[in-house]
Amino acid sequence: MSSHTCECEAKAKAAQEEEARLYEELDVIIQKHKEVKGPLIQVLHAAQELFGWLPEKAQARIAKGLDVPLSEVHGVLSFYSFFTTVPRGKHTIRVCLGTACYVRGGKQVLEKFQQELGINVNNTTEDREFSLEVNRCVGACGLAPVVTVGPDIYRRVKVDKIPEIIKKYRGS
Amino acid sequence: MKTLEDLKKVREQALEQMKLREGKFSAKVVVAMGTCGIAAGAREVMAAILDELDKRGISDVAVTQTGCKGLCEQEPTVDIIKNGQSVTYGYVDADKARQIIAQHVVNGNVIGDWVVSAS
Amino acid sequence: MADKFYRTHVLVCAGAGCVSCGCQDVANAFSREIELHGLGDEVKLVMTGCMGSCNLGPVAAVLPDGTFYEKLTAEGAHRIVEEHLLKGRPVEDFMHREGDNIVLPKMEELPFFKMQKKIVLRNCGVIDPGNIEEYIARDGYSALAKALGEMTREEVIDEIKRSGLRGRGGGGFSTGMKWEFTAKAQGDQKYVLCNADEGDPGAFMDRSVLEGDPHSVIEAMTIAGYAIGSNQGYVYVRAEYPLAIERLSTAIRQAREWGFLSSDILGTGFGFDLDIRIGAGAFVCGEETALMASIEGKRGEPRPRPPFPAISGLWECPTLLNNVETYANITWIIINGADEFAKIGTEGSKGTKVFALAGAINNSGLVEVPMGTSLGDIIFDIGGGVRNGKAFKAAQAGGPSGGCIPKEFLNVPMDYDSLKELGAMMGSGGLIIMDEGTCMVDLARYFLDFIQDESCGKCTPCRIGTKRMLEILDRICHGLGQEGDIELLINLGNQIKDSALCGLGQTAPNPVLSTIRYFRHEYEAHIRDKRCPACVCNSLFDAPCSHTCPAGTQVPQYVALVANRRFTDALRLIRDKNPFTSACGRVCNAPCEDKCRRAQIDEPLSIRALKRFAADSAEIGSLPLPGKRISRAAGKRVAIIGGGPSGLTAAYHLARLGHLPTVFEAESVAGGMLATCIPPYRLPRTVIQGEIDMIKATGVEIKLNTRVGKDISFEKIRKDYDAIYLATGADKGWTLGIPGEDLQGVFDSITFLKDVNLGKNTIKVGESVAVIGGGNAAIDAARTAKRLGAKNVTIVYRRLKEDMPAASEEIHEAELEGIEIKLLALPIEAIGQGGKLTSLKCQRLELAQFDKSGRRSPKPVEGATFDLPVDTVITAISQEPDIQFLGGEIKTRRGGTVDVQASTMGTNVDGIFAGGDVVSGPWTVIGAIGDGIKAAISIDRYLGGDGELASDAAEITIPAAPEDVDDIVETPRVCCNTLAVEKRTGMTEVDLGYSREQALREAARCLRCDAGT
Repeated sequence: MSSHTCECEAKAKAAQEEEARLYEELDVIIQKHKEVKGPLIQVLHAAQELFGWLPEKAQARIAKGLDVPLSEVHGVLSFYSFFTTVPRGKHTIRVCLGTACYVRGGKQVLEKFQQELGINVNNTTEDREFSLEVNRCVGACGLAPVVTVGPDIYRRVKVDKIPEIIKKYRGS
Repeated sequence: MKTLEDLKKVREQALEQMKLREGKFSAKVVVAMGTCGIAAGAREVMAAILDELDKRGISDVAVTQTGCKGLCEQEPTVDIIKNGQSVTYGYVDADKARQIIAQHVVNGNVIGDWVVSAS
Repeated sequence: MADKFYRTHVLVCAGAGCVSCGCQDVANAFSREIELHGLGDEVKLVMTGCMGSCNLGPVAAVLPDGTFYEKLTAEGAHRIVEEHLLKGRPVEDFMHREGDNIVLPKMEELPFFKMQKKIVLRNCGVIDPGNIEEYIARDGYSALAKALGEMTREEVIDEIKRSGLRGRGGGGFSTGMKWEFTAKAQGDQKYVLCNADEGDPGAFMDRSVLEGDPHSVIEAMTIAGYAIGSNQGYVYVRAEYPLAIERLSTAIRQAREWGFLSSDILGTGFGFDLDIRIGAGAFVCGEETALMASIEGKRGEPRPRPPFPAISGLWECPTLLNNVETYANITWIIINGADEFAKIGTEGSKGTKVFALAGAINNSGLVEVPMGTSLGDIIFDIGGGVRNGKAFKAAQAGGPSGGCIPKEFLNVPMDYDSLKELGAMMGSGGLIIMDEGTCMVDLARYFLDFIQDESCGKCTPCRIGTKRMLEILDRICHGLGQEGDIELLINLGNQIKDSALCGLGQTAPNPVLSTIRYFRHEYEAHIRDKRCPACVCNSLFDAPCSHTCPAGTQVPQYVALVANRRFTDALRLIRDKNPFTSACGRVCNAPCEDKCRRAQIDEPLSIRALKRFAADSAEIGSLPLPGKRISRAAGKRVAIIGGGPSGLTAAYHLARLGHLPTVFEAESVAGGMLATCIPPYRLPRTVIQGEIDMIKATGVEIKLNTRVGKDISFEKIRKDYDAIYLATGADKGWTLGIPGEDLQGVFDSITFLKDVNLGKNTIKVGESVAVIGGGNAAIDAARTAKRLGAKNVTIVYRRLKEDMPAASEEIHEAELEGIEIKLLALPIEAIGQGGKLTSLKCQRLELAQFDKSGRRSPKPVEGATFDLPVDTVITAISQEPDIQFLGGEIKTRRGGTVDVQASTMGTNVDGIFAGGDVVSGPWTVIGAIGDGIKAAISIDRYLGGDGELASDAAEITIPAAPEDVDDIVETPRVCCNTLAVEKRTGMTEVDLGYSREQALREAARCLRCDAGT
């Protein structure tokens, strides 16, 4: 029993340390951008890169560091679709719904992903494996319909190939 | 760079250097690596080309990248410039890329079936 | 895989255009000559796809030297092999010539390539964007040097003004004027901004420039900085373009290292620097005031103008904003001069425009053409035409702010003003090509959904107005549309246009308004008939095949029955609606197959062949007669005039309701076109007779040899019957209207086919027959003439083979049987001797402008005619109804067809209904059957019934769809079997149908769309 507690404690401690390190890095980013005119959006980009999302604590830290009200930070990040205040799944699947992808069957592709994952757009599966999002044109219209999973790009996606794509990432 | 004169000099130097550099090469391989090219697999093609050249111990072939030339449909595309003539291949994959190196770059045989255009 | 390597490749174009003008002969000649000269091991002959220059065919290219030959003949092939391949001397006679007879030997110099003029994209795909030296080697930064060293600020601005360059981001405002305003504005600090927030989904030229030639933007912005007096620029790039951001960052770093971005550029004392600002996914930030708010780190909300950015922009300083493509023109103008630039394009739109071609197009990608190039040229000559050989429906220009351009306007010159006139706009140059598979209502809904999603919410018209419009469109797409919705959309749209705060809102209604303008009938189909003609709005239907079938055949259900070996049930289910199962299984044009969802995976299901198999395999002995459902108005006498598929279908359903239909048929057999015109080798007479017998058995009386107006008067019928269905078809053949048409030996196809098929045999075909036309009737006449013993049969058609209205498999079979097809030719005179036909003089045609049908229309090639020696000419150009017997009371349309209300088939006279070809003009069998069903419903209602047809469907249990369809394996459709050509004597049926094993295999490919998801 005691050894378990120890392990848990060790894990918690490691997590704390990791978090502290991230926030130190965030402070460096904030300092670097303080000199720049109109830095808020660029700092939010860097922070999201760092955390994978924008936790409330980080928003507060940015507000304080840049000397702007927290309400303004929230107002800006809620305006732009790129920023997220909830953690994403391990793999983010983005189905492109630009016009070219749309007229070449992007909607059916999206529907199939929703059906296979059992979630709606902008949601994450319960096991935190997948998030499903929609993209407005990645500019690879010649390859429509396009789906990206993390850094990987799938082109001319056919509906019947979708279970295969999901299988590739599940549990990896 | 300080003056207009400098730019002229730099330009001449750049041209000269490129010529000199290209003179050392028996062929130039150019992979289109815009977003659509990469989405279509240009990175894998580039890796295969470098690997094939390496395996064959070829060092006098220049490999560079370029942006999108508008042929998004046929990506990935690869240009081979050899003996003053440029040939564009379309729908290239890693396997085709290796054959293009073997046949066109090494042996000088154009693989007609895969050519998009020539000049 | 290439196993053997050749020193030379000869590429012969085998695209549809060239095949029709004889490239097979040329290829054969090449093959022969290559062998003859012993070059077989050195030269490889390759048949390629279309090279995009069909009007020059037959064409061939010789690689590796890239010589392009056109208008080739077999003799030409011989000379090319002897001279070029053997001796290395290209043959100039067959090279491309233009105007001054200049020989243009290379592929790049052909119109296909030459139509593009690269200014913006001049370096893209040519240089390594990561290497500044390559940019410099191609005159990079020399425009900056010229501007800084040799020109005053005013001169730079004047040059840009004189060039006529207009903003490429959408608005089209004069770039030079913008520069001038900003230069004249008062302020210590000014900014130069580049809009690279390319938000229009479907446009990607800005991304391409930033990725492929980033220095051209840096250089242009620096020149702009010099011209307006600014030392700081920002490029605002969307976050979705990581590679563009990376390449631009590298380029900026290099420019700084080389001193092109510094406080003292090229020793002139002028200083300029540039930074990147990354967007965060907000479409509205492409609007200039919103973009500036976003650079300032705020919410990207637009603000009212004035003040314009030139006076008060970024951080309230005078600001110049242009987009990427606009900047990419600047250095070219500085180096080559305004005059050179102004030579390109049209009066009001100078220079080039880059279009992003995407959607249902063969060569999607970026093309750069002079302003004013026609839409059709871009789509067909450069873009290679519509994907999968489908018909062009419309192009969406200008993305969510633009509008659609339908096929009637393919000749429109692509420039700012012409597009605006059509209700579209240039926008950023996104050009999405759509085929018949796109639903225009759904497309409008898509764009509005996009706008709703992206509306910043600041102003009410955009926030609430577009939401209301979206709600209405959603309703329509879900089959809940109401009369008046279209007008409501137009009203709301116009109000939003007038009152929204920024460009995004003001243009938001455009896609809706323009689709209503050109495709109002599609909106009406959704609202009134709850139909989506493109089979996209899937709340309106389960299976697209059934939704498309005019007879409403339950396709997936009967295919499932076939798959379960219940062939008799399958036949019962089909003929529950369509009594002509066997006939349709042979000659239907199968619109269902065009919409089959299986095509998204591999190929559409062979639905027609399965229908035929079901009909041929059912055990007729155990087949009960179709059931009845006695209408509460039963027992009424209905006259059906015309015993073709439409009339007999109506009679069949009326009889099953307990009415007493009598069919009046002028000919000696019933069946209409099916029996008199479609030849027995396509549809055996026993098959059609079996179906007519079944119809009679349900209680239909057929009076043969009874022509209304001659054997019985129309007035008498009106008096004796409670209702009338007019289905007399359209069988009066059009004449050519050329001299000599009255010569002995000239017939129209209907007369000819009836003569043969009814066994009259009064017409004798000669040795050499010409058939004029490109439809099924032309092919039927040609193949029949061949079977009657004609030696040479030639079909003369005025357009290309892919334009022929006949079924492609029919054209294919005709060619197999040795029938020649002469394309792009028009008969102008029938020449005879002693009253007998001897030859047909034809005019050669070439394709020119696009006509209203979206096809290039043929025009005469001056002085080019040829004589076809013939003794028989059969015309099959078109037919029209012959309805003189009706008198004048019933309203007709232009073209002599009867005018009816589409939903009821009712004419303007109470109790008289009409359908089939007499209403539509020559159309399809299944269309005529569909009309017959609709008419039966309306007639029963008119007579006091409830219009519900009898149906056996409830008695037939449909097999459940397999549950797990996740692992669909790609399998092509099972090919059909045809009779060997040498066995095609007499009228033996050519198509042999499926074997049981084949049918089961094909039926198993059905995705069972009826089962839902």
